[in-house]
Amino acid sequence: MGNEAIARGVIEAGCGVAAAYPGTPSSEVLESLVRWKKELGHPIYVEWSINEKVAFEIAYGASLAGNRAMAAMKMVGLNVASDPFLSAAYLGVRGGLVVVVADDPGPHSSQTEQDSRFFGWFAKVPVLDPGTPQEALAMALRAFELSEKYELPVLLRPCLRVCHARQNIRLGNPAPLKDVGRFARNWTRWAAIPKYRLVLHGQLNEKLQTIIQEEPESRPRLVLGDGRAELAVITSGSVSSHVRDIAAADDRLSGLDVYKIDLPYPADAAALQEVVDTHERTLVIEETYPVLELQLKDRRTVLGRLSGHVPPQGELVPEIVEDLLRSAADIPALERTPVEVKPRRPSLCPGCPHRPAFFMIRKTFENAVYTGDIGCYTLGINMGAVDTCLCMGASVGMAGGLAKAPRPGDEHRVVATIGDSTFYHAGVPALINAVHTRASFVLVIMDNGTTAMTGGQPTPASPSLADGSPGTAVDMERLVRGCGVDHVQVVDPYDHAALKETLESARKHTFDEGKGVSVVITRRPCVRMPGVEISLQRFRITEQCDLCMSCVRDLECPAIHYVKGEKRMEIDQDLCAGCGFCVQVCPSQAVEPKGA
Amino acid sequence: MSDKVYNVLIVGVGGQGIILASDVLSRAAARYGYDVKKNEIHGMAQRGGSVSSHVRFGKSVSSPIIKTGEADVLLSFEQIEAVRYFPFLAETGKVILNDHKILPPAVFTGKQEYPPDVIEKIKAKVPDAVVVDGLAVAEQVGNPRVVNVVFLGVLSAFLDIPATTYEEVLKESLKPKLVDVNLKAFHQGRALAAA
Repeated sequence: MGNEAIARGVIEAGCGVAAAYPGTPSSEVLESLVRWKKELGHPIYVEWSINEKVAFEIAYGASLAGNRAMAAMKMVGLNVASDPFLSAAYLGVRGGLVVVVADDPGPHSSQTEQDSRFFGWFAKVPVLDPGTPQEALAMALRAFELSEKYELPVLLRPCLRVCHARQNIRLGNPAPLKDVGRFARNWTRWAAIPKYRLVLHGQLNEKLQTIIQEEPESRPRLVLGDGRAELAVITSGSVSSHVRDIAAADDRLSGLDVYKIDLPYPADAAALQEVVDTHERTLVIEETYPVLELQLKDRRTVLGRLSGHVPPQGELVPEIVEDLLRSAADIPALERTPVEVKPRRPSLCPGCPHRPAFFMIRKTFENAVYTGDIGCYTLGINMGAVDTCLCMGASVGMAGGLAKAPRPGDEHRVVATIGDSTFYHAGVPALINAVHTRASFVLVIMDNGTTAMTGGQPTPASPSLADGSPGTAVDMERLVRGCGVDHVQVVDPYDHAALKETLESARKHTFDEGKGVSVVITRRPCVRMPGVEISLQRFRITEQCDLCMSCVRDLECPAIHYVKGEKRMEIDQDLCAGCGFCVQVCPSQAVEPKGA
Repeated sequence: MSDKVYNVLIVGVGGQGIILASDVLSRAAARYGYDVKKNEIHGMAQRGGSVSSHVRFGKSVSSPIIKTGEADVLLSFEQIEAVRYFPFLAETGKVILNDHKILPPAVFTGKQEYPPDVIEKIKAKVPDAVVVDGLAVAEQVGNPRVVNVVFLGVLSAFLDIPATTYEEVLKESLKPKLVDVNLKAFHQGRALAAA
C-alpha cells in the first residue's frame, strides 16, 4: 500500500520522530511506522497527536533538536496545521522535516478537494507529488534529503490513488537515526521578530530559486513519446499513471509526448514553457487545482482547467482522462454508460452506541438545531439528529453562534454532538469560549473511547500510546469541568431510562433554568473495537407490533427490516449486535428477548 | 503467462471480506510474476457502504483503476452492487455473482423496494454469468465466514494464475488454524466454476 511505502521511506531515511493525526486517506502512514518500528526494532518515536497543528509542532521541535522528523495528516489537517507550517518555511529546519499530506480528489471521504500542492505554493514549501507507491517510497527519501540540504520543510503530497494503491515494492535498508547535531540557540532565527522575518523571507526566496536551478525534479521529464509530437501532455502525481496507461494502450494516442513533473512546486517555469512552445498544443492534466498551469506564462496553446477543457471539480478518473486525451487529439468521444443504481448510503453499525444517543436527543430536544461534527456520528444525519457538519470541532463553536442569534418566538434551542477524539482535537477551546460568554446550549460528547471512523486510533484518554507503550490518560470529566462547565453528567447510552433522565436534566439546567452550557458524556466503547464484548442475546418481534416503523425510521437500525409480502417486521439475527435498545424504545413493547 | 492486462473488479458491501479476497488475488498475481496494481475505496465503506476493489495485472501496468467497459471479470458479493458496477464490464467480460442481498437503508426503512429479478436481468445480458450461493457453500465447507475465499476460487478459474500460487499466498496470510477450511473453500469455488 502507498501509505506503507511512504512509512518505509521514512524508516529508510533514518527518521527519528513521527507524529500524525488520523484522517482518510493518510492514516496508514503512522500505523505502518508502528509496524516497521516493532518488526525491525527501529528506534523511531511515533505518536498520534491531539491534532495536526500539534503533530506538525512535534515534528518541527524534533527537527530543531537535530533529528529527521515527519508529520502526517489528510489535506484538511494541513488547514489546522497551517499556522506553524507557513512560519516554518521562513524559519527553516535543521534535521530533515517532511510533511506527508494526503489529498482526496473526488472527494471520497473528505470535506474538500483542496490541492495541497497549492498549499505548498502558498507557504513557499517545496512539494513532491508521487504517481505510484514505489515512487512514494523514493520520494519520501528524497524529501528528507532536499529538506536538509535547503533547511526547508518539504511537503510529500500523495493522492488517495497512491495512498491506497497496492503494488510490489522494492525495499531498501532501514537507516540508523540521522543526527545533524544538537539544538543551537539563535533567536534571530528560531524566535525571529518581524525585522528578521523579512531577512528570512528573502533567504526563503533564494532557496526556492536555487532548487529550480539545481534540482532535476523541478523540470518536466519525457516519460512517453519522442518529444516531436504535435500534442504534449504535462502531468503530475497519481493521475499521471492513468495518462501513461491510456496513451500506451491506444494506437491513435501513441503519437503523444507525455511529460511528468515530480516537483510541481517550485517548478522550473522556463522548462515547462519550453514544452508548450515546442508543441502545437499542450494538455495539462493534474489534480485538483491548476498548479502547473498557473506556472506557465504563455497559455495560448494550453488546454487545461483555466481554458475550460479540464473539469474544475471531481476526481480525474481514467474515463475522464481518456475523454480529455481523445478530445485533445481530435479522436471522437466514446459513449459511456451511466451507473443505474442509487448510491448505497452508509449507516451507523448495528449496536453502535451513537444510535440510542441520537434517538434520545431527538426525543428530548424536539425542534432544536442539532450541530454535528466530523466522525462516524456525522451519520446522525440519517436519524434527523445532525443538521450541520462544517469541520473538526465546529459543532461546539457553531452552537455558540446559533445560541447567540435567537429568532423572536423561536425556542433557540441548540444541541451539539461531537465525538471524543474530535472534542480533544478542536472542541476544547470552543467549549471554554461558550462557558466564558455564557452561551446557552447542550453539548453531548459521544465517547466511544477511540477514533472510530479512521480505524480505531487512540485518543488522549487512552492509557496507551500509538506503539502500545504506556501514556497518561487525560480524564474527560476533569477536562470538561476544567473548561468551566458545572453541569457535567456521564451516562451509558444503552441504558434507556438513565439516558432519558440525563438529557432531561441537561435540558432543565440549560434551557429551563438558563444556567448556561451543560455537557452530557454518553460513554460506551465502539462495537468495532477488538476486545469489546458483543452481547449474544438475540430478540424477536412479537404479534404486538403495529408496524409503526419507529425502529427503522427513528432508530434506523440496519438489523431490522419490513417484510413486504407478509406485513411484518423482522430482525436479521446475523446483523443484530444484541444491544437491546429496540426493546426499550418500541412504543408497542413488541420486541422481546429470545428464550424469555 | 499471457501478454494481456487483466482487469478484475471485486465489489460488494463493507464487511464482506472484499479487501482480503483482492489482497490474496493481487499477491498471487505478483508472485506468479505479473506487474500488479490494486486500489480500493476505504472510509465510509466500513459503515455498510458500497466497496469496490480494482485489481489490474499484466506485463506492465501503471494506473490502479479500471475504466468503465474494461473489466474482464466483475465479481460481486451482493446483487445490487453487481448492477451498480455493471458499466465497468467489458463486452466479453465474465460476471460472478453471489446470490445474496444486503438491504440498503432506503430499503430496510421501507422507502424503496429492492430491485427485483437482478439475477435474471444480469443473465439476460451475460448468459454465462456464474451465480453461486456463497453462504451455502461456505457453510457446507464448515465456516460461514469463508464466503470471500469461495468466490476467490470461482474467480481463479478465469485467470491465468496457477491454483498452487493462490494456495501459497493463502497459507502465508492466514492464521494456521484457518488455513485448511480456506483451502477447502478455495477449491470448492474453483470446482464450481468448472462445473
